[in-house]
Amino acid sequence: MDVLLQALLNGILIGGILICLTVGFQLTFGVLHVIDFAVGGWVMLGGYAAYWASRLLGVDPFISVFFVFVLFAGVGCALGPLIYHVRTSRYARPDLMALAFTFGIFIMMRGGALWLWSFDSRSVDSVLSGASLSIGPVTVPLLRLSAFGMALLLGLGLFVLLYRTRFGMAVRAVAQNRDHAGLMGVDVKRVSAYVYGIYTGITASAGVLLATIYSVNPEVGVRYTLFAFFVAVLAGLGSVGGVLVAGLVLGLVESLVGTYVGTRYSLLVVFATLYLVLLISPKGILQRGI
Amino acid sequence: MTNKISRRNFLKGSAYGLGALTLGAPAIHVRAQEPVIRCGVVTSLSGENRFGGNLTRRGYDLWAEEINKLGGVEINGDRYRVEMFYGDAQSRPASGADAAERLIIRDEVSILFGPYTSGVTLAVQPICAKYGVPMISGSAESPNVWLEKPRFNFGMIPAVDHTAGSSIGVIAEATGAASVGVVGVDEPFSKETAEGFRNGVNDTGLELTRFELFPANADLTPVVSNLKADNPDLVAVGGHEEVLINFINTAKSLDFRPKAILMHYGVTAAAFADQLGADANGVLGISVWTPNLPYRDDLFGTASDYDELSLARWGSHPDYTEAACSASGLVLQDAARRLGKPPVWDRQARLELVEALEETDIETFYGPVAFEREGNHYHNNIQPVPVVIQITEGRVVPVAPSDAAQTELVYPLPAFS
Repeated sequence: MDVLLQALLNGILIGGILICLTVGFQLTFGVLHVIDFAVGGWVMLGGYAAYWASRLLGVDPFISVFFVFVLFAGVGCALGPLIYHVRTSRYARPDLMALAFTFGIFIMMRGGALWLWSFDSRSVDSVLSGASLSIGPVTVPLLRLSAFGMALLLGLGLFVLLYRTRFGMAVRAVAQNRDHAGLMGVDVKRVSAYVYGIYTGITASAGVLLATIYSVNPEVGVRYTLFAFFVAVLAGLGSVGGVLVAGLVLGLVESLVGTYVGTRYSLLVVFATLYLVLLISPKGILQRGI
Repeated sequence: MTNKISRRNFLKGSAYGLGALTLGAPAIHVRAQEPVIRCGVVTSLSGENRFGGNLTRRGYDLWAEEINKLGGVEINGDRYRVEMFYGDAQSRPASGADAAERLIIRDEVSILFGPYTSGVTLAVQPICAKYGVPMISGSAESPNVWLEKPRFNFGMIPAVDHTAGSSIGVIAEATGAASVGVVGVDEPFSKETAEGFRNGVNDTGLELTRFELFPANADLTPVVSNLKADNPDLVAVGGHEEVLINFINTAKSLDFRPKAILMHYGVTAAAFADQLGADANGVLGISVWTPNLPYRDDLFGTASDYDELSLARWGSHPDYTEAACSASGLVLQDAARRLGKPPVWDRQARLELVEALEETDIETFYGPVAFEREGNHYHNNIQPVPVVIQITEGRVVPVAPSDAAQTELVYPLPAFS
């Protein structure tokens, strides 16, 4: 029973990490219709920003996370119009061109990180590193709990932004139909740039936590891109709400299989789950995807 | 129309001429030089294994720099400089094979220095055989590399089946540990390391509480939670540096501290202790070389001299992989001297070089080097004796067996700071 409780908790907390990774990715897909291959790159750069802030300035990741959000949101806003331009170009297959464009950005990020921070894996310390809470037989790692808290906050924050603000209404309008939204007076290009900025800010902030929980190196981006893609597909591409459910489902599957069947098979079962969902419900777990 | 050259054409022609001269100059320069020994390095300079790959490059480069300071490798009284060419395996076996082929065909290297991972080494071996180019592998530790009896490949570090298993017995004897949990990443080297640990547990009659392999991308909380539930005295982990760092971070976050933790490979690299800080202290590892060993050679001096040289050159203390890679150059030097033929070496000369390498029997700062001529460790140098090390105040310190120990093994480990 103790092991089961710990496994369930581990699964929920892994789910929190997956949600942090994917929620921005979903938002940007819903609005810009871009599968952003650079998602793992933003996570990696966020992690390195926290590493520098910690090593050079002595700033704890829980403080630097806010600065990282602002910094990367700014970078994303600057890059957003370029992505929009590629995605809406009149040349053939702009969807594939956008995919290739973000892939190129990702390659540059990876190469740049290798050049700037070399090949070592970097561990980022925070006040919560190694801290845990014991509730009966269950150990709750506080860092992972904070990531889960961040996932909940992000979910709630995005809900408020999308459904309780005028900007959110504009975002939803662009997501539904870009041309019609433009005809109704929405500045589609600007909204898209802001959405891309929100996405990069959120994803880089998630990177801060992930670097603290695990470690960061120039190659981690590939792994995070893959995981973000799996969660997004399970959630239904473009469905922000679906991410919350999909992240938790995948986290629980990974943890329970790892505990009771063998960690060796956990990714196999995760892929099998993904396959089954695509077969039965191609629009994702909540049937709300594109 | 006139025959006069216009100013535009004159400038254009001058620019082309200058460009051609600039591009052509290096070729003229190279041709004017003495023959050199062209060495290729195939290793993972990017990708998942870039950490170890770059360590191997450091080792090979340090040898090349030092021997070139003396004027090069001595053959029949003349010295021939060493020129290094690099091929990035990108941590993928197929890319490693491509890189090796490029080095051999395009860069016309006479010898290869081998990759960091055993997977890439296995992919490069057939290329060496195809072109008849010998390779000295300063890093590969998988026993599978030598089971194939590769004619052209020579390994400097004893295979992990030779080192991992025996270390369990040594630790059990030093600590009295009775139960062991073994986990490892499900990829060739780490899996074989974990299997080596498991065999060591079985051979010494200890209780094996768990044997589990996991994918490199897996979150480690289920693995650590299971180990915590079993609560063995010793936890042995097979993996590379990133997984080892994540393992310690996860164990700390789940408040799990076994009496002893044994890891292989990466724990002896300076980056492990640098990144984990105090949490690295107490972790055990296996090493076939440490700077305090009593070996020496004419180029690097003692093991301690090599340590200082490498620290001054790269800014961190070398681990046994870097040392083995530098020693690979010493092996080439010795074989080339006995071959007695100046470069450039044609296929026949390279075949004779392979025979010379087979007859290697030297002592270096890294330890004795002689390659097996038969059996399951064919062409593997199994001379170095593995010692158990423990991270103590961020330093790699030998703790067992007793004749190699510099300090007492800390057991059981204190709680995480």
